[in-house]
Amino acid sequence: MIYRSYTMFVSKNFRVSFAFIAIGLISFYFADLEITTIDATSLSQDFFLSIFSLKFHDYSLLLEAFLTTITIAVLAIFFSIIFGAILSLFFGSLLVRISLAFTRAIHELFWALIFLQIFGLNTLTALLAIVIPYSATLAKVYAEILQEHDSFGDMLRGRDRVSYFLYTKIPDALPQLISYTRYRFECALRSTAILGFVGITTLGYYLSSSFMQGLYHEVWLILILFYILIATIKLWFNKYTFIPLVVASFLYLDDFSGFNLANLKRFFTEDIIPYPIKNDLGLESTLSWFDTIFTNEILIGATNTLVLTQLSLLLTALLTLMLFPLVSAKFANKPTRISAHIFLVILRSTPEYILAYIFLQLFGPSMLPAVLALMLHNGSIISHLIGADTDAMKLGINTTKRKGERYFYEVLPRVYGQFLAFLFYRWEIIMRESAILGVLGITTLGFYIDSAIEDFRLDKMFLLLLVTAFLNIFVDVISKKTREYLKADKEISPCRV
Amino acid sequence: MAFLLKNESISYNEQVILHSLSLDIQKGESVALLGKSGSGKSTLLKKLYESKKEESAYIPQELGLVENLSVYNNVYIAKLDEFSTIHNLINLIKPAQNDLATIKEIINTLELEQKLFEKVHTLSGGQKQRVAVGRAIYTHKSILLADEPISALDEYLSSKVISILKESFQTIICAIHNVELATQNFDRVIGLKNTQVIIDKKCSELSEDDIQKLYYVCE
Repeated sequence: MIYRSYTMFVSKNFRVSFAFIAIGLISFYFADLEITTIDATSLSQDFFLSIFSLKFHDYSLLLEAFLTTITIAVLAIFFSIIFGAILSLFFGSLLVRISLAFTRAIHELFWALIFLQIFGLNTLTALLAIVIPYSATLAKVYAEILQEHDSFGDMLRGRDRVSYFLYTKIPDALPQLISYTRYRFECALRSTAILGFVGITTLGYYLSSSFMQGLYHEVWLILILFYILIATIKLWFNKYTFIPLVVASFLYLDDFSGFNLANLKRFFTEDIIPYPIKNDLGLESTLSWFDTIFTNEILIGATNTLVLTQLSLLLTALLTLMLFPLVSAKFANKPTRISAHIFLVILRSTPEYILAYIFLQLFGPSMLPAVLALMLHNGSIISHLIGADTDAMKLGINTTKRKGERYFYEVLPRVYGQFLAFLFYRWEIIMRESAILGVLGITTLGFYIDSAIEDFRLDKMFLLLLVTAFLNIFVDVISKKTREYLKADKEISPCRV
Repeated sequence: MAFLLKNESISYNEQVILHSLSLDIQKGESVALLGKSGSGKSTLLKKLYESKKEESAYIPQELGLVENLSVYNNVYIAKLDEFSTIHNLINLIKPAQNDLATIKEIINTLELEQKLFEKVHTLSGGQKQRVAVGRAIYTHKSILLADEPISALDEYLSSKVISILKESFQTIICAIHNVELATQNFDRVIGLKNTQVIIDKKCSELSEDDIQKLYYVCE
């Protein structure tokens, strides 16, 4: 009996790992990972050495960029909390769940590109781009947290459902709700920063313009200040400062105009309607319209998105297996752990998009920058979580002193389930990022979406967005099924990822 | 009459816990439920509570407290249905004066006055039990159904809590594991074993033999 359950455990984890390694290797074969810059080494050297000469040409501009980023992120999370909390109450409805899954599946940068077409370049666009997907995410996670907290006996529950909800579920779930919201705020800061890449004057805007001018010391200064901002979140974003921050952000951003009903209406009733349908050109030309886009863009874009996703997932896994011992007291001494920790925090705090952008400048356009960015960002997140879990693990007194043996015989078997669960949680996120990195010139779906917008072919853009969203939901469903197959969800709380 | 069961079987998860049970509990009685764990005491209490929800207060073994809420609000929960939702919402932010006075008095008699605004997760097991007792009293119902509500209290507090409960409720049915405490404080003992009632007599008539049969003798 013991023997049977043991082999079952091994074979399930093994089978899933084997399948994903195989898919990852096939993706590696198809991925274009060429370095195309003429002198990547000296360029990288220039870039990394300029960390020692930090400066900025106009500090008031820098302050403004930071304030804009913070205030947009604060207001975005404020509205997302409100909408997310309300929507979480209706999460039982299938229709709500499907619409939210769809909303979440579209990256905030895509939302920004859409609203740029409708409302133009302004604060309203920036806020909507973050509030829409973030409300959907918060609604889902809030609903899950509330579901987990049901300690008050049903026997004692009375008729006034609202009051019982406020007195039982909410207080029980509050610590988790707050800690997840704080994590989401950190994400909102990163998302707001990268909105700069589409023209909103947040940090990403100045970062990319400094990069393009070769002012690497400015890039480093922005990044380092951003790390400090993220690292100190608890100090300036907490229950005492939240309301003042929201009020101050309203006052600072001041101008929320730009809403244009006519444009909104035109977008939904004209712009995104396929060209042949809008002009009544008949079924045949509609099909040929779709066929052209399908063969030339959807097929290639989706394949490349999947290739990038699967390769990045595999490399994230490998990097995690190598990195987590460095932050674990079971393997590394204190100085190593501290420096590894700082390294991981930096990688974690840098948005994938910015990492990819930097690598793109250094190595030229291919899948390499995207793969590196996704691997480093996600690998650092999972390593941190697994490292922390191994610290809580108790090994026997007679455990081996040899670290290799300890890694393979004691620690890895114990954390492997968790490790897979974390990976599958990140899978969907990696996919969403893979699509968006196309905006940087890698031919994933984002590339074609961006080109469609540039050509002002919004009908095509909408079709491609739909494909992207469905692909993402598809991956999410497989991830969920795989986690059920591995019974992996029991190992972790989803709120941590 | 408080409860009348005639030849009833009680099941839980499709498993019969109590067989052809007949019980007759009068108003004003205080009954101790004895029996080893798993003998069906909790199931019986739940069944009784379900049959007279409107008149009874119920303390489950796991207490049903909200850990992240203050002692005051945990007691207040008992009357959520009696106030408007708005009143409840405001009370969550600022305690309503009338309710505060009543609850404070209850909590004081249970020797928890220092803890009124402490969150429940900071309390010890015995303190939590007294909060649950306070909540039951605050319902101002006539019947109490309690599942081991004093198991974590010392002798002094146990007796005190029982006497407070007897003052507050007309009828009490209480699962308890301390036989001495049961015989000293209750009128009647009902002993459960192997899905059946094997003892049902006045405390004064309870013999050492009965106790042996209930807890030690195998059949």
